[in-house]
Formats: sequence, C-alpha cells, structure tokens
Amino acid sequence: MLDANNTLGIVFFPAYDWAISPTHPEREERLLYTQDQLREEGLFDIGGVREYKPDVAAKEDVTRIHFCIPDISRVTTQSHLISAGGAIKAARLVMEKEEDKAFALVRPPGHHAMKVVHGSRGFCNINIEAVMIEYIRETYGPMKIAIVDTDCHHGDGTQDIYWHDPQTLFISLHQDGRTMYPGSGFPFETGGPQALGKTINVPLPPTTGDEGFLYVLDHLVLPILDDFKPDLIINSAGQDNHFSDPITNMNFSAQGYAELNARLNPDIAVLEGGYSIRGGLPYTNLGIVLAMCGLDYSQIREPDYNPTALRQQSRITDYIKKLSDEVLDLYFNPPREPADGKVQRGYFVREKGIYYDTDGITEEQVESVLLCDQCSGMIKIETRSSLNPRSLCVEIPIGACDRCADTGRRIIEEGHFRGKDRYLQLIDRRAKQYLQYGY
Amino acid sequence: MNPAAITRLNLSTTLSTNAIIEGKTEDVGVIVSAGPGIDPENHRIGRHYHIVSGSIDHRGTMIQDLNRSELDAALTSCRTAGVRVFATIGKFSTRNPEHEHTMAEKIGPESDFITMGHTLSGVLNFPRRIATACFNSAVWRTYDDFAWAVEESVVDFGLRAETNILKADGGTMPLAGSRKVPVETILSGPAASVMGIMALCDIQEDSIILDIGGTTTDIAVFADGAPVIENEGMTVGSYPTLVRSLKLRPIGIGGDSALHVSSQQVRVGPDRKGPSLATCPQYPQGSVDSPNRVCVPTLTDAMNYLGLADFGDREASIQGIRELAELWETDVDALANRSVRYALERITTAVRELVHEINEKPVYTISELLKGKRIEPKKVYVMGGPAQAFAGLLEQSFGLDVVVPEHYAYANAIGAALTQTTMDALLFADTQKGRLFIPNLNIQKKINRNYDRKQAESDAKRYLLEHLKHIGVAIDGLHPEITESESFNLVEGPVTAGRIIRIKCQIRPGVIGKAISPVR
Repeated sequence: MLDANNTLGIVFFPAYDWAISPTHPEREERLLYTQDQLREEGLFDIGGVREYKPDVAAKEDVTRIHFCIPDISRVTTQSHLISAGGAIKAARLVMEKEEDKAFALVRPPGHHAMKVVHGSRGFCNINIEAVMIEYIRETYGPMKIAIVDTDCHHGDGTQDIYWHDPQTLFISLHQDGRTMYPGSGFPFETGGPQALGKTINVPLPPTTGDEGFLYVLDHLVLPILDDFKPDLIINSAGQDNHFSDPITNMNFSAQGYAELNARLNPDIAVLEGGYSIRGGLPYTNLGIVLAMCGLDYSQIREPDYNPTALRQQSRITDYIKKLSDEVLDLYFNPPREPADGKVQRGYFVREKGIYYDTDGITEEQVESVLLCDQCSGMIKIETRSSLNPRSLCVEIPIGACDRCADTGRRIIEEGHFRGKDRYLQLIDRRAKQYLQYGY
Repeated sequence: MNPAAITRLNLSTTLSTNAIIEGKTEDVGVIVSAGPGIDPENHRIGRHYHIVSGSIDHRGTMIQDLNRSELDAALTSCRTAGVRVFATIGKFSTRNPEHEHTMAEKIGPESDFITMGHTLSGVLNFPRRIATACFNSAVWRTYDDFAWAVEESVVDFGLRAETNILKADGGTMPLAGSRKVPVETILSGPAASVMGIMALCDIQEDSIILDIGGTTTDIAVFADGAPVIENEGMTVGSYPTLVRSLKLRPIGIGGDSALHVSSQQVRVGPDRKGPSLATCPQYPQGSVDSPNRVCVPTLTDAMNYLGLADFGDREASIQGIRELAELWETDVDALANRSVRYALERITTAVRELVHEINEKPVYTISELLKGKRIEPKKVYVMGGPAQAFAGLLEQSFGLDVVVPEHYAYANAIGAALTQTTMDALLFADTQKGRLFIPNLNIQKKINRNYDRKQAESDAKRYLLEHLKHIGVAIDGLHPEITESESFNLVEGPVTAGRIIRIKCQIRPGVIGKAISPVR
C-alpha cells in the first residue's frame, strides 16, 4: 500500500446541487469525473491522505475582507460560503498541524472577486483565497503570505485585494490579457505605492506548454519566493491552462501541473477555474494531489495527450525567456511609482471601471490610499454601479498606525453627516470591527 | 425435532477468514489492466501479479485496447507456475467491464475459477477491487469444498431448509450463490452479534452497541434503527477491500485486559495474558508483573475487587489487586478505581470518535451539508461478559440510557439464526452512450435518450430482486431501498447531450421477527 511523504487533507466539495445555469461551465457536473478518478485510484486509502468536509464561512469571514454592496446576503449564496469555508478548512488543517498540506477542491471559484463586490464576475462572487488568508491572519496572527495563481485567467480580484499589501506577494501566471478575459495582468501592474513589486504579472502567450510554465517557475517564481521568504505559500490552482480546456488556448498538461506543483511546493492549494471537466480535470487534479503528497505521478496521462502536438514552439520559448527576465527585474527593481494613479493631497488615488461579466454590472470606483510611512495605509473607496448608488468604504489595515485608524473612522463619521452615500462600510482590522450601514 | 420442520439454516463460517489470516490460501494469477494514473505496481498482491496495458476512462470509454501479447505472456508465466485460479481486474471496470471479460475469456480453459473484479461490487476503487478479487479466488477452493460438504450434510440430516451463509454486513446470502463470492463470508462473526441485539431489542433510535469481550470491545452504531455500514468495505490485514461490512470499531479493552501500573498512571490493555485471576485454573506463582506469568490482574479482577462484579473466584481477584498495589506501594482502592475509570474513558472516547467520524463523513451537496442527518445516540446497548457490571458506570459516563438485553450471551447465535438476506447494487446509466450497467448483477442494457432517474430507481430495485430470486432467495417481504440517487446533465458545448444517472439500491440488514423469550 502507498504512503504519502507529506500528509494531505483534501477538502472535496463538488456542490452537486448548484450551478450558475444548467449549461454554464460552472455547473453540477464540473467535479463529477474528478471525484470518479480520485476514488477509482484509491486515493483516500493512501496512508496520510484524508478527505474532509468543508466549513461554512461565517458572515464575518467575508466582511473582514470584502465590501459587499449592499450586503453579503445580496451578493452571495450558500454555495459561495461553502467554497470559501472549504478553503478555510484547508487552512485550519495546515495551521493546526493536523496535516502537512491541504487542497481545497471546491467550487465555485473566487479569484476574480475584488475588494468591493456588487455581484459575480468571471464566475466568482467572493474571493475564497482572500477570505482564507485573512481568516489565517485573524486567527493565527500576521504573517507573510505568497499567492501563486496558476489559473489561465489573470487573478484580477486577488490582485485588487492585495494591491496595497506589502505582506502579501501575489504572482499570477496567465494567458496574455490581450487574448483572454479579463484583459488585465500586464507586467507594469506591480502594486500600489506602498507595495510596489509585490504584485507580479506574467502574461504568457497562447500555446504556452509545459516547458514555458516550468521555465517561468524555475527562473522567476522560485527566485522571487526565495527572496520574499513567505511563511505560507498558497497555490490558486486553476486548471484551465490545460490543452483540452474549452475556453482558453494553452498547452499545459497534467504532467506539467503536477511538476509545477511539486517544484512550487505550496502549503495549501485552492481550486480555481478549469472547465475541461472530462479530459482535463480528472488528470490535472490527480497530478496535483499526488505531487502534494510527494508521490510519483509520472504515469498520469490524459486520453488525448499528444506530446508532439503540444510541444512548445521555439519562438514562444524565446518570448517567455525574455518576458521572465523583464518581470524578474520588476520585482527586484520595482518602479518608483505605480503606472496608474496619482498623488492628491496626501492620498494616492486611482480610478477604476469594473465590469461584472457574469451578472452584467458596471462599476465605477475611486480608490484612495493614505500615503503613510508608519503602516501600509488606510484605504478609502467610493463606489457606484449600475445596480447600486454611490457608497463609501473604508479599510483600516492590520497594523495600522493611529493616524490611519483615526482618519478612517473620521471619514465614516463624516459620511454619515454628509449623507451622500447610500451605503457605508468599515473594515477595521486593528479593532476587528466590520460595520455595515444603510442596508 | 423433526428435521423437515426446519425452514432455514443459517451458517457462519470462519473458514475463509482463517485461510487468509493464516496465509493458507491458494496462489492466484492476478491480471490487472490499469492504464494511466497511479502506478499499478503499488497494488501488487501475491506472487503472480501481472500488469497488461490497456485503458478505460471514467465514463467507461475504451481509450486503449488490451495488449494481447502481454496478456499471453502473463498467462504463460502463470501456467508454468501451475496457477489454477485467477482474478482479472480493470481500472474503471465498474463503468465498462470489457477488459475484464476479455482477460477472463482468454484464461478460461486454463483455470478452475476466475473472479472478475466488477462482479464483486459496483464501487469505484481499483486497489480495493484488486485485493478483493484476489482474496475471492484465493479462498475459493477451500470454500467450495466446504459448500459441497454442507450440502451433503443437509441432505444426510433430512433437512429441506434453505441454506444461507452469513456475511460481515449483518446479512446472509444463499449457500449456492455464495460459491462465486466466498470473500463475502469473511469476518461475519461480530456482525452476527450486532444483529442478535437487533433481534433481542427493539432498536428504533440512534444507538450505540457495545460488545465487551475478553480481549476487545466492539463498538457498532445504529442510525434510525439500522446498523451503520462501512463506506467502501472492510480492511483485511493491511488490505482495504470492497467487502461490505458493518462499521465496527474494536478497541483493546476487555474483561481479561491486563492492568499496567506505572508511577504516573494505571492503564488497561490492550494486551491479554491469559484469563483473569478470577477464572485462572489455579492462583499463579511469582510476581504479578512478571512477564512470563499466565494470569495477571485484569479489568475483571479490579471490578471484582470493587464489588462491581461477582465473577468466578472473587478472592483470587482481591488477592491479585492487593499484590499489584503493594508492588507499586499504592492504595489498593485507588488502583482498582483508576483501572475501571481508565477502561470506561477509553470506551467512551472511542465511541465519541466513531460517532464523530460517521457524522464527519463527507457529503457532496449543499443541502446535505447544511441539513444532513447527524447521529445523536440516545441509548447504549451492552452485551458480553462484563456487560451487567459495566452498565451503571457506562450510564454515568455517557449520560444515556444503558440497556443490557436479556439473553445477551446468545446474541451471536440468535443474530446468526434470524438475520435476513442483504444485497446492494449500483446502477450506472449514461443516456448519451445509451447504456445501463449494474456491475455486480452483471446487467448491461441499452437505454434510450429519455431514460431518467425515476426509471433508473425502479430498474435498480427490479434487477436487484430478480437477481435474488435467481439465486434462490424468497423475495416476498424484501424491500429494496434507494440510498443514493443522482442525475447529472451531461453538457457538451452549449447543449445538454445526455444524462449520467447513478443509483444505489440495497436491502438493508434486518432480522426476521423478534426473538421471543422462552416460557419459563
């Protein structure tokens, strides 16, 4: 019988009774064949591998990280709280040393959900990794965390949430935004004024294969992680770079995913996208699971795997090498100021237009971060959308200085007096207070 | 007694169990076809394990044909070694058994018996399927001889009873039908005791059953009046299998468990060094902690000392506990009390863990996660030698009603006699492929595109009963129940291309009537 070299907790929750719509990629059937494959392989009989039920995320787990406009109950369903709860369960297993590693194999995904939530974008309502990470920090204390997002789509939601946080390194490997939803994730997006270089974007050209992904991992991701020295490594394990995925154009294989995971060696993996539910996911998930256990995965092969057809073209290889060098330099020598936004009266201000493709909502935002040399800075967001009138949101970050904390609270008070904002919300990580007014 | 008046003969045998435990089984030619995934070398079992290329995917689509020359080579090797029984196992054979059939057909003339993996269970678990099929063939010859002998005896005694064999899931199967699946007869003993309690008591609520024996205490759990079954199957030695069994958790605490004293604490078990002092043929010589001594102070002795029990030679118990206390220069009462408390705590902890484990069993729908059934035991049923002595203490530590059934000493025999037929079947339908498959009933049928869950549920019940009838079970009064029922839309591009339907159907373990106390 097999024994895992690392014990692994798998939080498997396929939500067999939930779909965005009957034929939507995010439907009941999505993890059915993955479960069949894992069961038939006898995975849960491997010594050191255990399956767990997800937790259900509490309201506070969400409101400590998101501004849900008008309210959490209007932008989430039980399915979202369970998939976020699955990620939380995975984190608890690792943090409480019940398991060496954990994999939240849950749906629906979360990495397109931004700080402010008016609805669903890219099949995501709440950012399940961010909910998990802030649960970790709230419960087990502050720590440096690296997120490596290997979903084919730019993790724009996670990027937005951690844009100003120097304690969170966000690295996204994805298909070039000029050819793929959500159209962002370019190298010049390197983080806010007080976290420059802590957001790293690697837009890969269509048809990138195993060789390209592993090159970026070895020459870019691992050196950066060596330097950043995170306390925890999280893999946003989207699996839509797979060559058989119906909505993307990459040539990554199950072998590649397993190899990437083995070299990255994450503490926690969280499933994101991946919609090749029969020809891809059963094999990529098996590969990731075996790699996390430290077991052999060399005999995994998809039915349609054809190494000749998937071999990466040399011009793609050359492009990726050059891109890797450029992005590596952006981490070690970040620009002096962000490419987007400007300084206004002590704040760094940027304006954002956000489209919620799944729900068809448009949002306009003005985000201002208080420039501060004592802490990462209080953040004020004014938001309005096609669904909701103007609302005001303030976040006082973990470790905020007195000035930032006081300013944040004053802005909310003033908001009440002025009465121009329909909804007012405060996230005060210092006082652990999460307040919503107006709903 | 008039032999002709006997209508049912239920037998429990340890033949197959012992053969496996003692390694006295026949060599099996195990031929597996795995395809990609975890290296099948990890599942090697026995000396004649052969891997043949070929693959079938999770939907039962054949991806790669079976490699005939590799199969020939495997068979040549088995032939040379004189192997006469075989097991053929394919990955995903419970979705499509084609490779297993092909292998079996090829072996056919050279063998006395072949087990095809899919005929044992519809559950997905390739390594368990391999071990189960291998064990099935390994004990086949021994069991088959036994079955012949039983059939002859039945005739000799002038019996016309239907003859059944006990299984580990608390049910029976007809003797004739059992010849093909002898592996299902292993470890049926403990289940019979649990079914005996079911016959002796009217169990309706969530309950705990404790069978306190000499060496171990077996814990079983009832949910809504029915015993909880292992998710996939029992584990035999180090091999997880697909043999259905009751969920039984043995812990190393029994009446004869030795007491271990140290400066820190008093422990009980898990070892047994012969019977308790109370029942030792003569009071042994030498120090109570000498490693070679046969009878040492035990849990029963501690209970005898405290007056909680009056079992065998109480004086011998008292003397032994005193000697042990003197040796450690500790208070005698305290030592005896701590022993009993330790045993109680171990039992209650193990029960809580088992109930927790059952309640934490993963579920896969939002509605089950939020509104799923949770087991909350209301009663504890205790049987075995120390049952009466433990009842009061268990009542305190569980805070639940504790029942010690009358005649519990015969629970095993009563359970064996009154247990009914059990059977389960998994139906798998794929309307895009137009196929229905029930692996362990060996049913493959064409279905049309409109085939739905309702039809599948009724088919599963119907085929299950037909199968039972075919193997000689009187099906009157048997009611198959649907335990799982799922239907998934199979979407290709923007359209629904079919449905995948999965039904699990079973006849749950039960007893015929209730045991009635004989008139005194």
